[in-house]
Amino acid sequence: MDMEFQSRYEINRTAEFIISKSFTRVALQFPDELLKDSTKVVSALKSKTRLLNTEREVRFFVMADTTYGSCCVDEVGALHIDSECVVHYGQTCLSPTSVLPAFFVFGKASTEVSSCVKHLLDYASHSDKPIMILYGLEYAHVIPRIREELMEALSRTESEAKFSVANVICSFISPSKDPRESMEHPGPSGESDSRNYRLGGLTWDLPEGNKIEDYLLFWIGSDNSAFANVVLTFNGCDLVRYDAEEDSLVTEFAQQRRILKRRYYLVEKAKDANIIGILVGTLGVAGYLHMIHHMQALISAAGKKSYILAMGRPNPAKLANFPECDVFIYISCAQTALLDSKEFMSPVITPFEANLAFSRGSEWTGAYLMHFQDVINSSKTESEAHSEPEEPRFSFFQGGYVEDHNANDQAENGEGDTGETMALVQAAEKALQLRGKDQNQLTKQTAAKSGPEYFLNRAYRGLEINSDNTSPEPFIVGRSGKASGYKHE
Amino acid sequence: MVKFTSDELRRIMDYKHNIRNMSVIAHVDHGKSTLTDSLVAAAGIIAQEVAGDVRMTDTRADEAERGITIKSTGISLYYEMTDASLKSFTGARDGNEYLINLIDSPGHVDFSSEVTAALRITDGALVVVDCIEGVCVQTETVLRQALGERIRPVLTVNKMDRCFLELQVDGEEAYQNFQRVIENANVIMATYEDPLLGDVQVYPEKGTVAFSAGLHGWAFTLTNFAKMYASKFGVDETKMMERLWGENFFDPATRKWSSKNTGSATCKRGFVQFCYEPIKQIIATCMNDQKDKLWPMLAKLGVQMKSDEKELMAKPLMKRVMQTWLPASTALLEMMIFHLPSPHTAQRYRVENLYEGPLDDQYATAIRNCDPNGPLMLYVSKMIPASDKGRFFAFGRVFSGKVSTGMKVRIMGPNFVPGEKKDLYVKSVQRTVIWMGKRQETVEDVPCGNTVAMVGLDQFITKNATLTNEKEVDAHPIRAMKFSVSPVVRVAVQCKVASDLPKLVEGLKRLAKSDPMVVCTMEESGEHIVAGAGELHLEICLKDLQDDFMGGAEIVKSDPVVSFRETVLERSVRTVMSKSPNKHNRLYMEARPLEDGLAEAIDDGRIGPRDDPKIRSKILAEEFGWDKDLAKKIWAFGPETTGPNMVVDMCKGVQYLNEIKDSVVAGFQWASKEGPLCDENMRGICFEVCDVVLHSDAIHRGGGQVIPTARRVIYASQLTAKPRLLEPVYMVEIQAPEGALGGIYSVLNQKRGHVFEEMQRPGTPLYNIKAYLPVVESFGFSSQLRAATSGQAFPQCVFDHWEMMSSDPLEVGSQASTLVADIRKRKGMKEQMTPLSDFEDKL
Repeated sequence: MDMEFQSRYEINRTAEFIISKSFTRVALQFPDELLKDSTKVVSALKSKTRLLNTEREVRFFVMADTTYGSCCVDEVGALHIDSECVVHYGQTCLSPTSVLPAFFVFGKASTEVSSCVKHLLDYASHSDKPIMILYGLEYAHVIPRIREELMEALSRTESEAKFSVANVICSFISPSKDPRESMEHPGPSGESDSRNYRLGGLTWDLPEGNKIEDYLLFWIGSDNSAFANVVLTFNGCDLVRYDAEEDSLVTEFAQQRRILKRRYYLVEKAKDANIIGILVGTLGVAGYLHMIHHMQALISAAGKKSYILAMGRPNPAKLANFPECDVFIYISCAQTALLDSKEFMSPVITPFEANLAFSRGSEWTGAYLMHFQDVINSSKTESEAHSEPEEPRFSFFQGGYVEDHNANDQAENGEGDTGETMALVQAAEKALQLRGKDQNQLTKQTAAKSGPEYFLNRAYRGLEINSDNTSPEPFIVGRSGKASGYKHE
Repeated sequence: MVKFTSDELRRIMDYKHNIRNMSVIAHVDHGKSTLTDSLVAAAGIIAQEVAGDVRMTDTRADEAERGITIKSTGISLYYEMTDASLKSFTGARDGNEYLINLIDSPGHVDFSSEVTAALRITDGALVVVDCIEGVCVQTETVLRQALGERIRPVLTVNKMDRCFLELQVDGEEAYQNFQRVIENANVIMATYEDPLLGDVQVYPEKGTVAFSAGLHGWAFTLTNFAKMYASKFGVDETKMMERLWGENFFDPATRKWSSKNTGSATCKRGFVQFCYEPIKQIIATCMNDQKDKLWPMLAKLGVQMKSDEKELMAKPLMKRVMQTWLPASTALLEMMIFHLPSPHTAQRYRVENLYEGPLDDQYATAIRNCDPNGPLMLYVSKMIPASDKGRFFAFGRVFSGKVSTGMKVRIMGPNFVPGEKKDLYVKSVQRTVIWMGKRQETVEDVPCGNTVAMVGLDQFITKNATLTNEKEVDAHPIRAMKFSVSPVVRVAVQCKVASDLPKLVEGLKRLAKSDPMVVCTMEESGEHIVAGAGELHLEICLKDLQDDFMGGAEIVKSDPVVSFRETVLERSVRTVMSKSPNKHNRLYMEARPLEDGLAEAIDDGRIGPRDDPKIRSKILAEEFGWDKDLAKKIWAFGPETTGPNMVVDMCKGVQYLNEIKDSVVAGFQWASKEGPLCDENMRGICFEVCDVVLHSDAIHRGGGQVIPTARRVIYASQLTAKPRLLEPVYMVEIQAPEGALGGIYSVLNQKRGHVFEEMQRPGTPLYNIKAYLPVVESFGFSSQLRAATSGQAFPQCVFDHWEMMSSDPLEVGSQASTLVADIRKRKGMKEQMTPLSDFEDKL
């Protein structure tokens, strides 16, 4: 077994961790691109644990093709095999887990430390702002060296430049006993006094009185979703990215900035929605249940209808099965949450955006939050803050005032159910009526406010029973062969 | 002079026979606002001396500065008729006091929407035409609109002073000129005649044409002169009126009337002899300061001058003399009172045009009878910014019932559907106000037949609405206004400081309210868009946005952006097929262009999803040569279920087809909104579903499988049918003297425009040029034209049609493909179009 492999997968550290916690059933979670190494990792770990502890046999299970994003810990999968711990390989969002302890192996991307430091110093000399160094977790292993070289270079040149480096939260997460507790831990919400920031597994503190906007953010790593999160969250800061593979600095982020405006559009679009699908995109990230309930409450308070949909990674075909939903809220870990593509029929937004869209009086300020706890914290402060007089909302898509139906319906919430059942009854009635009348009516559908209402507007309402013809249908030979090309073709 | 109180006004408001609601309409710069001012001067709000110099109705600083009206303004005027003058009035009336609710409207085509809003709430129109320039483009447009709303017109030939002072034309020439102007106007009116409205043409001899000099504050109708001469000749007034116009000649030597010019030197046309010459003489005498001659003449005419006025010299003297002799207000107001309908008369025939509901319900009846005790029916036609920033008055017309301060009203917005709760609010009116130029007066209530402004409803009305009593739940709304211009020019706005975004949002909200036409929307990319009818319109809107509605927070605007449409040139070269994601379902489609004129018919609403299928198939079969059965197989219109594209089912015997119809339609709505070339709307494409193969298991042919597939196959069929871009094209009308024609042609050529009509205006050295000009090229057109013609040419642009760009967007390097790339770049899309192979599948 070569050393390079050992160190890349941190076999020793992992084995020590497992033995020290005396786990016997361990799930190893691999993303698709690392799956090819899984057998080697397992055998390496097996031999290592045997060396460390001969008494107890540790059993390893390889998990792949996770239901949700591969950056999150697949706790449900791990629980199926009754494992006590998950070792997660590859890129991760370090989202807190809810049941199982997890150990993370970030992987080690190679980079030229000296050239990185050179770029850093070059860049620092152009600006008098202090620099905050953030990085992709796969580069965490070179950070100490970068820090050292940086110190050395600074002392040599006696430069005034100030650097701070973010830390990795930790490479081990154990679930907190009370999911509530994890909710309360301080995040970068505006009102908290502590200048502690956490994002994508990094954490850093700012000295009292400093704002993150005063810093230059220096990102070491590739242009992935973790970086996109940084761009979105700190959209007020100056940013530069050091691409380790290309060994170059990237300062142009028009595309990423555009994302923010696009998200703004989606929020406005969501305001016009009547039916909202809540997509459950994680079963692991701590607080997801709390988030779902929060969203449900928010939506019903806004007088809209919500449906919860649990599905694996959403794709256009899956979401198009629910054409009645005007917008989807994707509840998932921060790094998979930004789902935007022209291919989706209805927009997919994050819980934070939903908060903006559905609570009256909240405005798009440019601040952007990704983590559940931040979102919930921020909405808490907001809900206390505003109780504005009811006024119809201005919609940029309909070019006028629109009334959300809460004003009238909130009082009659109890009747909501009966209304729905009535709609179903009506639907059944209509289906039983003679067809032909509405065959050719292409009347404009008014926006449906609930699923049954949507179905009422559809031309097709179910199987037709031809009661006049009771004789059995003749036997017909169907197609045969594969879908990609049937036999007769 | 200021004997005008709101109480007095309120009292007359109850006499519905004595009310005239009218708007002043004309081409730009024909003198509407100036003329209106002389009327306002007479109604006692501003002093008589300043009439003609101050535009009472141009209340905005930029209006005064540019010298054009931007917003329409309403004023209530009070006028008392003498018994003598009412002698020949045959209509119903209550006393001699009259209330005239007048609305001055802008003449520039970019603000046509203001005219539309004004016409809706009035019953009559004073059409102002410059006696030299004659009937112009905008005169025609507004006349057409007025008659479409069943507004009865009267005409005034304005700027008479130019005839006397500037051009010094002789009587016969002037007569011919006036005659031609009136004839031209009559031709237009005859074209849009409406049987219910009756004969709307105007005749000087019937008193429906006035001759005015707005700037000098005088005007006359033939009635004035007929009265003067009737006794002298011993004939009755009507007889005299007839003699004062047309082919009637008088020879003072023989004191005989004839229907032909006898050829004798003293024989002159009646109009020239008795109207034109005396005025000319008086004016000449005044201008030459021949006071010794003047006073006896005035005495003969019965004109009394005050002693201090006698001190005036030349022009001011002339102005004063003419104002005293032939006051504009008397002539015009009497003409309106005599010949324009009262609300009571007008609503009888207007109700059909106004009310959306059944014409025999109580609301229609109340409107028809202009019943002050009936249910309230009020139409808010526009919102007027109030002096405290951010608030608006809702301005409109009471058609029946009464609206009062504190009353609870039902507000039915433009999207309201009877029986539903959508776009419906119940709120109370905080204050009812009547408008008097720059002043607003609060009144207790306003009865039907009047215009009114209301406070406290602005948060619930975007642009217009119908108001009724709180409990009138089965009332239908009043029909929405139809505008003659469309918002084709768009700019993206953003705030300079990112944190001003809430201000911008709030500002756009207010802007949308303040203008009947402007549209504030948002692009997919998250940019805020303001769309207006033209460059000037947008400029004014953005100025308002920044200065008034955003408290001066700075905004950055993009270059004007024009939206395009995507269409096809031919039928798809082959039937294209796409497979669903699970490969179990296949859709086969072809695209073809819709027949000529069909897309326009859909735009106009002649064909649409709400039609009775029988009527629809009849129109399609008869006008567009469709197969009768095929017309019944239209699945949907799109985008937005009403757009000018269709999906038609051409399949035969496909199982489960009805099951996927909804999904295909959903895919079509989606695709037709965002075409494959550059995400613009599609236009004029018919998609034919040729064949469908579906999985026999319902779960495998659900929406998730079919909707994205329908979208893909629609894209593929469009891409195989020679896709093309459509660009919006303005119709430009330019008036200029012959010398400027060269400059006009060269500017038009540079701008890809082409002239399709060039006509000399009879009797003038002016030419009328009509041309088509792509909207994209129109930015800066006005100023370039001015430069090239040293300010002699003035263009009016109105959106006319979509025109296909001949170059192929799929051909690399073509003009259209560069354009597509630009649009995609602006929208933040991949610059390369998605290739056909991504949409089409092979077996």
